[in-house]
Amino acid sequence: MSETTKFTEDILKVATEKAGNIIGEAEAERQRASEEAKTSISREAEAIIRNARADAEAVKRREISEARHKAKLHEEKEKDIVMTEVLDHAKKRVLDVAKDDSKYLPYLTTLVESAIRQLGDETLLIHLNKADMTRINRTNVERDVAKGLQKPIKIEWSKEPIEAAGGAIVSSPDGKTRIVNTLDERFDALEPKLLIEAGKSLFGQ
Amino acid sequence: MSGIETVKIIVNAEKQAAKIIKDAEATAADIRKKIDSLIQTQRTEMLATAKKEASALVQQAEEEGRREAESYEKEAAVRTRELIARASSKKSATVEKLVGMVMEGEK
Repeated sequence: MSETTKFTEDILKVATEKAGNIIGEAEAERQRASEEAKTSISREAEAIIRNARADAEAVKRREISEARHKAKLHEEKEKDIVMTEVLDHAKKRVLDVAKDDSKYLPYLTTLVESAIRQLGDETLLIHLNKADMTRINRTNVERDVAKGLQKPIKIEWSKEPIEAAGGAIVSSPDGKTRIVNTLDERFDALEPKLLIEAGKSLFGQ
Repeated sequence: MSGIETVKIIVNAEKQAAKIIKDAEATAADIRKKIDSLIQTQRTEMLATAKKEASALVQQAEEEGRREAESYEKEAAVRTRELIARASSKKSATVEKLVGMVMEGEK
């Protein structure tokens, strides 16, 4: 091999090596940039998955929570039906007491007596419904009330009938103070307590 | 070989060497120029995969949630039926108790 040939081969060898280095550096740069980008994008991707897991949990919880709420509403609705039925039946039974003289007359006497005790007056005006105004033996009621109170009492009977299934409204003669002891009112006044008792009795609440 | 021929050969060799380096620099420039689009492609692919996985996770959770919800509703319906059946058997006694509360209150 001539000196010239060796020299030119050296020139080309050096150039090839340099070219290899230039491309190698660019390749390495590309590799580094790619790795760095992968790390950064991986973090983004992990965040997407992490958020999706949280969303998924929330979606699942919401589905179950809605089902629970729906079931609870259904249960409450069904319980309300039973409670209403029981309360209506109880009210009917209470109002029906007025149809049974053997039960009603002693009960009316205790209602009147109780109202008089609450008023504390010695002269009173008693209001009854239309049916009771004709069927009640007033003398007997006055006698039984006085006996129960253990003191004489002056009772006046209102000529105006009240709208009630039974029971009485007892008032001072001027009508300013009055105790409403009608069957309807008694039931309505006790309704909150009756509901609690019905809940305990029916559902153990 | 004359001196002139030798110089020519060397000049040609240097021209070839310069071309080799120039081509290499062009290739390197091309590689660098493609880095951004390479990264963008990587990003698009990786995030698309992640989003697909995320969507599948949420969909799976929705299905699981629906299944559990349906199962809960069925069990709750049975429990409610039993509760109402037990309560219904106590209705008469409860009515008696309530009537008693209203009537006995004055005794």
